[in-house]
Amino acid sequence: MHKYLLKRFLLMLPTLFGVALVTFLLIRVIPGDVVELRYSGDRGAVSQELLDRERARIGLDQPVWKQFVTWMGGVLRFDFGTSMWTGAPIWEEIKLRFALSFQLAIMATAVAVLLAIPLGVLAALKQDTWVDYSVRVFSIAGLSMPSFWLGIVLILLLLVVFKWLPPMVYTPFWTSPTQNLAQLIWPALAVGYRYSAIATRMTRSAMLEVLREDYIRTARAKGLMQKLILSRHALKNAMLPVLTVVALEFAFLIGGLVVTEQVFNLNGIGLLFVQAVAQRDYTLLQALIMLVAGAFIVVNFMMDIAYAWLDPRIRYR
Amino acid sequence: MRRPSLLSIALALTVLTAIAWPAAAQDKPRSGGELIFVVPSQPPSYDGHQEETFGLIHPLAPHYSTLLKVDPFDKTGTKPVGDLAESWTISKDGVTYTFKIRKGVKFHDGSDLTSKDIKATYDRIVNPPPDVKSLRKAAYAAVQSIDTPDSHTVVFKLKWPESSFLLNLASPWNFVYKADILAKDQKWYEKNVMGTGPFTFVEHVKGSHWVGKKNPHYWDKGKPYLDGYRAIFISSSSAQVAAVRGERAHIQFRGFTPADRESLVSALGPKITVQESAWDCALMVAMHHEKKPFDDKRVRRALSLALDRHAASKTISKIAIVRDVAGIQVPGTPWATPPDELEKLAGYGRDINKSRAEARRLLKEAGVPDGFAFTFKNRGIPQPYEPLGIWLIDQWRQIGLNVKQEVVEASAYHPMLKRGDFETAMDFQCGFIVEPDLDLGRFLSNSDANYGRHKDTVIDDLYVRQARATDPEERKKLLRQLEKRLLDDEVHVMYTLQWHRIIPHSSKVKGWTITPSHYLNNQLDTVWLAE
Repeated sequence: MHKYLLKRFLLMLPTLFGVALVTFLLIRVIPGDVVELRYSGDRGAVSQELLDRERARIGLDQPVWKQFVTWMGGVLRFDFGTSMWTGAPIWEEIKLRFALSFQLAIMATAVAVLLAIPLGVLAALKQDTWVDYSVRVFSIAGLSMPSFWLGIVLILLLLVVFKWLPPMVYTPFWTSPTQNLAQLIWPALAVGYRYSAIATRMTRSAMLEVLREDYIRTARAKGLMQKLILSRHALKNAMLPVLTVVALEFAFLIGGLVVTEQVFNLNGIGLLFVQAVAQRDYTLLQALIMLVAGAFIVVNFMMDIAYAWLDPRIRYR
Repeated sequence: MRRPSLLSIALALTVLTAIAWPAAAQDKPRSGGELIFVVPSQPPSYDGHQEETFGLIHPLAPHYSTLLKVDPFDKTGTKPVGDLAESWTISKDGVTYTFKIRKGVKFHDGSDLTSKDIKATYDRIVNPPPDVKSLRKAAYAAVQSIDTPDSHTVVFKLKWPESSFLLNLASPWNFVYKADILAKDQKWYEKNVMGTGPFTFVEHVKGSHWVGKKNPHYWDKGKPYLDGYRAIFISSSSAQVAAVRGERAHIQFRGFTPADRESLVSALGPKITVQESAWDCALMVAMHHEKKPFDDKRVRRALSLALDRHAASKTISKIAIVRDVAGIQVPGTPWATPPDELEKLAGYGRDINKSRAEARRLLKEAGVPDGFAFTFKNRGIPQPYEPLGIWLIDQWRQIGLNVKQEVVEASAYHPMLKRGDFETAMDFQCGFIVEPDLDLGRFLSNSDANYGRHKDTVIDDLYVRQARATDPEERKKLLRQLEKRLLDDEVHVMYTLQWHRIIPHSSKVKGWTITPSHYLNNQLDTVWLAE
């Protein structure tokens, strides 16, 4: 088991390096730079001398390889530098938004899991009945509707019918739970519904497969109660693919809610991504991509551990 | 006829007073409340001297005072009034400006403001230290010296008379900083806020909001009326509209589209008040003078003659943030050319058939009777670039030109203009004060922003002469000559339509007047909330 985990852990390092290299090079291909954008403004009459001076100050006049080496040196010391746009330390820029995105990811995952697992199991147990058909319609509808569109519909509904709009400013949960939930419950529902649709279908198909296995038939033949068969033997084994979907989706939610965050004006990582790209804030963008890549890698690593726990064959291979 | 009794007269007077009272009470500023406004952009740093975005001005202006400011109630946005300056005199030769500074003005840390602070601020703007950026330094090139004969007098001596100087001292960017702080650290104000303005700084949560509270020691007794303000940063335009519609915000000070205005008015009815003004922003077409056939002024003139500006003013204004037909200055402001005079310029006439016939004749004379094909580069921003770009192409096709539009992503646009990598392209500018010197400097032959790369010593000369003209009538005459040369004789550039600023805001917001610039009138000292 330890050897297995060590191997998985060591594989994370080249992956992160690859992400760092590709990110660094790709974002420099986009035309325009932070200096041009910040100082060209509406009047566009800033002198070339000032632009050159500013580029030199933030190191953009250096060769690309040298910039990469400097940046990687910092990354190895967990120092991501300062934002090229605001001059503030990167971590300061990210930590503000991370709390919101992380909470939203947890809430959306909770909505998704609470909907997907009971519905998926129910649909599998009642295969080809009206219950199954209803669950399938519900989940296909969720897959078809983009979460940002659902978000817009939710906002319009609240505005037109209830003449009320969720708060526009994030309040931490510990400061005011009601304010916090009043703001985040709507995007969590919009995102969680789409996310649950994928997980529902996965749960249903995994359960159907497991319920046809010999060991389930044996358990039934032995006269074991249906509830025990489901909870002890079927569900645990059907959870492996569902766990994969839920975990990957969770990692995606940390930085992937770009449009939904705009719709609900959430000051999260997704919105910061858009700003960083629009402002050509290379250092911030690199750090954000590393953060999301890191989230995916850590979630994958945790999934590997969970697989090993759920399926002994993996552990002993 | 019976004479009215004393009782009936008293009753009538009571009714009349009751009718008249609400109106009078409404007009009287009321203290209290928190103004909530939306800011569509964000401040990169806190230093007004070195930034260019309204995302800084809107949340930060209430913390600061400037030497002069533009009268918050002047709709033309051109009248300077004293802020920290109590009064001023200008010498007869127009090169010495003497300002008396208000006494009893305190910084938010409790220290007194003196002329030393004004000098330190302007020294930083006019002659910044090597590691400090001063983006508007060029506007103060005439300044020879800044002296402080006593603790409440500042004297600016100029190298030559400059008609725009007073208004440049009313620039909303020129926050007055504390001399002692600047003496220790010229960069302190990049990350800190401390001024003498009507509101003190409370907090800034990046990407989320900015909060200010009433300065109880503000020099203008009784002001500000608000207890505080909260600026919410919202980038998405639909979320901005939703914030006002859902009454989560009172106002957004930059501007909304005509469609947003309609949706807010229909949803909120009398709860919404709409203020509109010509906007000190313009989209122009730059034509590369070093590329054929745009080196020929007959071709450039034909392109301008093809535009039916008056028809577009009526139609496009319904879908885009543009409206008035304008020359080089914001319509309705003191330096603008009156409409009947403007109509004499190429492409500004009301008879479009006549103009287009002339355009075709000019193309024939220039050796391109069947028209020609060219590319028009436009900036990848929906409002108002997209509708105006489509309109231009349609208009040029009416005289037989085959135009291909290439949309360039917003952040790559400015470098493209600077490289000169275009035949024709949309050029743009927004002014922070309504002043010809600021708007026209870009058309000088040696300007970095002369993207069409024209060389015209007549324009250069007229610019300098109008800038130094101390008689307003003389200056107007020179400006008309410059405008005719730029837009008619040589057609170095062509203006499309003037931007139009639309501010639909909560009817509770009082004491705020729209001006042509979204950089002006953001100090909030005169603003109050009804109810």
